[in-house]
Amino acid sequence: MPPKNKKSKESVQDERFQAIVLTDSFETRFMPLTSVKPRCLLPLANVPLIEYTLEFLAKAGVNEVHLMCSSHAEQIQQYILNSKWNSKNSPFLIHTVMSLESRSVGDAMRDLDNRGLITGDFLLVSGDVVTNIDFERAMNFHKQKKLQDKEHIVTMVLNQASPLHRTRSHVDPATFILDKKTDRCLFYQGIPPVDGAKSSISIDPELIEDIEDEFVIRNDLIDCYVDICTPHVPQIFQDNFDYQTLRSDFLKGVLTSDLVKKSIYAYISENSAEYAARVESWATYDAVSQDVLARWCYPLVPDANLIENNSYTYEFSHIYKEEKVVLAQSCKIGSCTSIGANTTVGEGSSIKKSVIGRNCRIGKNVIINNSYIWENSVIEDNSVLNHTIIAGDASIGSNVTLSPGSVIGFNVKIGNNKHISHHVRIVEKPILKDSFDSDSFDTDASDVDEDAQQPAIPHIELNIKDIDLVGEDGDGYLYVSDRAVDDESESEYGDQYSGIIYQFKHLNVSDDSIASISNRKGKKRSHSRTRRLSSNSVISTDFEGGAFSDDEEEDFAKEAEATVHRALENNHDLDTALLELNTLRMSMNVTYHEVRLATCQVLLQKIVEYITTDTLAAKEATTKIFTQWGPMFKRQVFSEEEQVDLLNILQDKIAKLDKAYNQIVLFLAVRILYELDIVEEDQILNWWKDNEGDEDKDIQSVRTLTGQFITWLQDAEEEESDEESD
Amino acid sequence: MPAATVTPEIRAIIDPLVSSLKRQQLNGDKTIALAVSQLLMKVIAAARWTNPYDLIDIIRKVGTTLSSAQPRKVVTGNIVRRVLALIRDEIETEHENGATPMMSSMFSLLSTTNDTSHKEQHNQSKKQMSELRSIIIQGIRDLVDEITNVNDGIESMSMDLIHDNEILLTPTPTSETVLQFLIKARQKRKFTVLITESFPNYIKQSHSFAKKLAEHKIETILVPDSTIYAVMSRVGKVIIGSSAVFVNGGCMANSGVSHVVECAKEHRTPVFALAGLYKLSPLYPFTRDDLIEVGNSGKVLNYDDFKLVDNVELVTNPLDDYIPPENIDIYITNVGGFAPSFIYRIVLDNYKTEDNSLE
Repeated sequence: MPPKNKKSKESVQDERFQAIVLTDSFETRFMPLTSVKPRCLLPLANVPLIEYTLEFLAKAGVNEVHLMCSSHAEQIQQYILNSKWNSKNSPFLIHTVMSLESRSVGDAMRDLDNRGLITGDFLLVSGDVVTNIDFERAMNFHKQKKLQDKEHIVTMVLNQASPLHRTRSHVDPATFILDKKTDRCLFYQGIPPVDGAKSSISIDPELIEDIEDEFVIRNDLIDCYVDICTPHVPQIFQDNFDYQTLRSDFLKGVLTSDLVKKSIYAYISENSAEYAARVESWATYDAVSQDVLARWCYPLVPDANLIENNSYTYEFSHIYKEEKVVLAQSCKIGSCTSIGANTTVGEGSSIKKSVIGRNCRIGKNVIINNSYIWENSVIEDNSVLNHTIIAGDASIGSNVTLSPGSVIGFNVKIGNNKHISHHVRIVEKPILKDSFDSDSFDTDASDVDEDAQQPAIPHIELNIKDIDLVGEDGDGYLYVSDRAVDDESESEYGDQYSGIIYQFKHLNVSDDSIASISNRKGKKRSHSRTRRLSSNSVISTDFEGGAFSDDEEEDFAKEAEATVHRALENNHDLDTALLELNTLRMSMNVTYHEVRLATCQVLLQKIVEYITTDTLAAKEATTKIFTQWGPMFKRQVFSEEEQVDLLNILQDKIAKLDKAYNQIVLFLAVRILYELDIVEEDQILNWWKDNEGDEDKDIQSVRTLTGQFITWLQDAEEEESDEESD
Repeated sequence: MPAATVTPEIRAIIDPLVSSLKRQQLNGDKTIALAVSQLLMKVIAAARWTNPYDLIDIIRKVGTTLSSAQPRKVVTGNIVRRVLALIRDEIETEHENGATPMMSSMFSLLSTTNDTSHKEQHNQSKKQMSELRSIIIQGIRDLVDEITNVNDGIESMSMDLIHDNEILLTPTPTSETVLQFLIKARQKRKFTVLITESFPNYIKQSHSFAKKLAEHKIETILVPDSTIYAVMSRVGKVIIGSSAVFVNGGCMANSGVSHVVECAKEHRTPVFALAGLYKLSPLYPFTRDDLIEVGNSGKVLNYDDFKLVDNVELVTNPLDDYIPPENIDIYITNVGGFAPSFIYRIVLDNYKTEDNSLE
C-alpha cells in the first residue's frame, strides 16, 4: 500500500518513491562464505539479510525497488523471483538490475545513472541493513532541509550509539563533523589505521574556515548506509569516475570539493527504541544477530516471521522455536536462542545465545555458545562450539572443539576429536581466485581509509587441504587470504575488546584541540598536511601519519606534473587540463598549494627547454608560456594569501634557474600574472616586502629586474592615490 | 464439488492486511477490529460458494491466516468468530423456516464432524444464497456499527458508577474508552483522577491522557508507578481498560496493570474493567506467557549504553499483563455491567463453540 498520508501533503513530490538496494558490498569480509552465497542472502537469525532491508523499505513506503546485483546476481534474482516481494500484493515493484561489471559502489551508481532509472529523490541502502527507524521522520527532515537549502543532495540516516558500541563498525569507524544547528555534515573522516591502531583524525583547517556556528565532532554514530539522495548523486558519481565508495570517496569528495558545492545533511535518530545497524563483518553479524534475538530491533524479531513459511513463536527470556523442534528432556536452552523447524537436540546439550537453523541435528552433551549454525548441519556428541559460524550442510564430528572466531564453510566435514583453533576458516573447495580481483585504482591513495581500498588489493589465497585440520574422514580446506591477519584481528569476535578497540578509546577529540585549530587558521597558513588533530597520547602516530602524507604529496607532484606536461605537449585546452588536475587533487586529497607547485614546475621546465634548445629567447619563451598557460592559475588561486604563495613559489623556482635569464623570467612572469589579473597589485607588493630581507643571494639577484616593475607599480599606485586625493 | 479454498482473489484481499498487521502499522484494537470486519465483508462478497458451510470454511481459513499475523492480538480472532457465529445463526434460522426437518438441525447442534451431510441437504438455490449473502453482510455492518459506537454504551453507565468528590485511579492511559468514560462522568460529577506514568512503553500516552483530562476540567494527578501502593489507600475506585477479556473472566491489559490491581486488592479497592463487547473472547487463557507480547528492549535500557547492553544477561519489555478474574470486581461493557464469573454466559451468547478453534 502506498503511504497516502505522506504523499498527499507533498504534492510536489514525484508519485513514485524509489529505493536502490546495493546487494553487493564489494568487500570480502564474509569470505569464504560469500564465495558460495552473496552476502545479502546469508541468514541472520534464520532469515536472509535482504528480507530485513526489504521489510524496512516496505515500512518506509517505498513503491519501487531496484536491486543492484553484481556478484552472484543470478542467485539474488532467483531468490527475489520466488519471494513474496514479487507477488501481486507486494507493497512495491521490485526489479533486479544486473550490473555484473560493477566492481565498486561507484561503478554501480554510474551504471544506475546510465540506465536512467532514477526519476526523483530516492533511498539508497545496502542489502544488509537491519533497522526499525521511523523513516517518515527522516523523510520529513530531508524535505524540510531541501526547502531550506537548494544545494541539498543527500540526507544520511544515522543512529546514535556510543563509540565502542558492539554494532558500530569496527572495520570502518568514522567521525562525522556536523554543524550543530542545522545538522549539515561538514566533514567526514574515517579513523586512520596507524600500526593497526585507530587513534587520530586529521581535519583540514580550510574546511572549518567558513563555518559560522558551532560544530560538533561525533564519533558515536552508527552509520548504516541509509541515504536519501536526490538524482544529482548518480551524476556526481558519473562526473567523478574515480569515486569508488559511498563514504570515503563520495561523501568526502563532495564535502571537500570546491567545484561541486553541494551540501549533505545528517538525520540523527536519538530515540532509544530505534535501531539501525549494518551487517558488514563477522563482528557485526554477531552483534546484530544478538540484537535481533534480544528484541532491540522490535518489531523486526524472529517471531514476526518475515518469511512466509516461518513459524517462530516467542518464549520468555528470548527463546524462539519453530514448529517440530525436538528437544531432549535434559537439554538446556539458555536465553537469546532461536531454533528452526525439525531440528533435534540431544540429551545433556546446552545451547545459549545461539541461532540454529532448520533440519539440524545436535548430538548429546554438545555445548553451543554464541554460535550460528545454519540449515541442515550435523553436530555429533560431546562437541564444544564457542563463537563460531557453521554454514549450511556442514557436519562436525564428535569431541570436536571449535575455538572462537572459526568459520566452517558450506558442506565441510570435520572428523572426530579435532580441535580447530582461533580464527581458522575452512572451505569445501579451494577458492582459486578472489571475486574482487580488481585492477584499477592504484591512484586511489586516500590516506585514511585503508579498508575501503582493501578490495582493490588482489588477494593471494592459499588453500591447503589439511588432514591434520579436518581429520581422516573430513572434507575441507583451510582458507587463507593475505588480508586474514589484519582482518581477523580487527573483526573476529574474540578480539572485540582488545587491540584496536582499546586504542580506539584513546581518540580524544577534545574541545581544546578544536580551539587551537580555529586559532591557528587565522594566522599564517601552513600547507603541510602533517598538521593533525590528535590526542596527546599518540605522538608516534603523528609521525607515522606525517610520513604517510609526505609520500602522497610526492606521488601527487609526479602525477600532476605529468598531467600538466601532457597538456602542454598535446596542447589541450585549459579546461581539460584543469579538470584533470582537479580530479587528481581530490583523489589524493592534497591542497592547491601542491597543484600550484606542480604547475609552476612544469611551466618553468618548458620555458627552460625553449631557451636551452634556442627555439625562443628567454623573453619570448616566458611571454608565450605564461600568456597561454598562465590562466590555469585562475582556478588554482583564490585568496590573497594564495596569490602571495604563488609568487613565492615562482620566485623560489626561478631563482634556481640559470642566472643568465632568470631575472627576465621572473619579471615577465610576475607582469603577465598581474596583467591576467591573477595576482593583484597589493599582493605583489606584499610579496615583495615579505621577501625584502631575505638573505639568500640567489633570491636577491633574481629579484633585481622585477624591482623595476615593483617601483613602477608603486609609482602607479601613488599617482592613482594622488589623483584620488585631488 | 470442490472443497472450499482460499482463492488467489481472496488472498489478494487479505494479504495487505496481513502484512500491515505484521508490520504493526495498525494501532489500537478498535482499528484492527474494524479493519478485520471490513475485510471479512469483502471476502464474503468476493468468495464463491454454493453452500453456507463452504463459506464458513473459507472464513475459518482467512481467520487462521489473520490471527497468525499477530498471534498475540486476540481481537482479530474475536471478530472472525463473531462473523462465523453470525453465519451459523443465519443457517439455523433458514433451517427453522425452511422445509428441512428439525431432526437434522438438532443433529447439527450436537455433532460438528459430519458436515458433509449438511452439504448434501443444503444445495439451496442461487437466489437463497445471494439472499443469505446480503443478510450476512448486513450482519457485519451491524457489527461495525457496534464497534464504532462501543464507547456510547459504556459511557452511559459512568454517572451511576462515579460519585462526587471521588478519587479514581487509572493505570491504562492508552485506553480511549477510559478517557471517554471519565469525560462523560465529568458532565455531572466532580472528581479527581490519578494516572500512573506507565513507564516505559506508555509514558507519552499518559502525559497526553492527563492533558486531555485537564482540558475537561477534571482534577488530574500524574503519579509515578512506584507510588501506587502508597496512594491506593486514598483511591475510591480503580478503572482499567482491557485489550481482551477471556471466558474465565480474566483479561489482558497494559503492562503494569497487574501490579495496580494487586495493590487494589490489598486495600479492598474496587476494580472496574471497561471492555467493548468485541473484546470478549471465547478462548481460555491456558498459557499466560503465550498471551503476552514482548516489545522493544530499547525502551527499558538505552541501547547507547553499550557496556550494560553487552553485559546484562537479559532485557525484556513485556507489553501486556494478564489480570486474573479474582482481581476484577466488575466488567463494564456496552451491554451492561457483569461480574467476571458471568462473562462465560455473554461469550456463549455471541460465539459458537464450534469456532473456538479456527484450524
